[in-house]
Amino acid sequence: MILPLLAEMSGSIHVGLAAMGVGIGIGLTGMGMATAVGRNPGAFTPVLVHGILAIAFTEAIVFYALFLLPH
Amino acid sequence: MRNRYLSLPILTLVCAIAVAASTFAAAPEKAEHEALPLNPAPLVQIGKFGITNSMLVTWIVATGIIILAQAATRKIKPIPSGAQNFWEWLVEGLYNFLEGIIGRKLVQKTFWFFATLFIFILFVNWFGLIPGVGTIGWGHHDPTTGLFHIDRPLLRGGNADLNMTTAMAAIFFLLWLIWAIQANGIGGFLLHLFGPKGETSGILKLVMVVIFFLVGWLEIISILFRPVSLSFRLFGNIYAGESTLEVMSKMVPFLSWLLPLPFYFLEILVGVVQALVFMLLTAVFTLLIAEHQSETAHS
Repeated sequence: MILPLLAEMSGSIHVGLAAMGVGIGIGLTGMGMATAVGRNPGAFTPVLVHGILAIAFTEAIVFYALFLLPH
Repeated sequence: MRNRYLSLPILTLVCAIAVAASTFAAAPEKAEHEALPLNPAPLVQIGKFGITNSMLVTWIVATGIIILAQAATRKIKPIPSGAQNFWEWLVEGLYNFLEGIIGRKLVQKTFWFFATLFIFILFVNWFGLIPGVGTIGWGHHDPTTGLFHIDRPLLRGGNADLNMTTAMAAIFFLLWLIWAIQANGIGGFLLHLFGPKGETSGILKLVMVVIFFLVGWLEIISILFRPVSLSFRLFGNIYAGESTLEVMSKMVPFLSWLLPLPFYFLEILVGVVQALVFMLLTAVFTLLIAEHQSETAHS
């Protein structure tokens, strides 16, 4: 049932999959940041810096998918 | 155990999306809403150089910021009030915030750039939300719906133009390179990219040198993608926001005054957050390449 459907799919699926994974990853990062700040509010700035960095690296994946792979 | 819990919903999600994608593809295509075009519309064409509506907005905002800041600081008072108070609060707040993140030495050197980025992006984002931006311009009368349709708006949100965000990201990339070489020197910069990190010795050290040399190339790719992701993040957020407002105001004709209202508040928030994220990311990237030097200077 699912295989013919998957076979019919075409287009930039890899970008969609990358975007989905990136969304999940950024959500997990945000969860970790919120937990860390809740646990230790004094560490807001270092947590923010590391969280922003992690989000930037995660986000780059979707751009790799957009630009590095042929469509 | 935890992994299984996580992977099962993801798998079902993938299957569901696969099904949904094929169903939508099979359905007959509906008449689409006329969305916001990706390119800004040119207003005046001088040879090859066209002045677009988003350029006009960036000029208006830049002139406005310069005039307001000059007017507020013409007569500097020891106890600030009014406009001078506002600008001092903004600049001092930014300075202290950045100092906490990138350190005292670096903030003295780079504050001008990051503060300019933040203030400019913030006001360009908010200017795009003023009613009239994107709705005043040249257009034609649509006989099928009986409505007037704007083809060439006079103003368009400045960051809803990929050229603007790419230009800012490119300027940052150049400055980043200059600051990195100033802080480390050419040799130190290359060592920062390719050199082994951490404490190892003996045969493991040799392995680490090879590994970190290869990791350096990965790092270079990720560095080269920074301007791309910086520009697309800002452009994507602002463009998507403008499209949302446009779609919301056209969806239900008699509710067009009410439906976009919650999204306007969302866009005010997005405008601040994206300006903050752009400034923070550029600051942290600069910190990452320059902290090597300042750490050794401290110790």
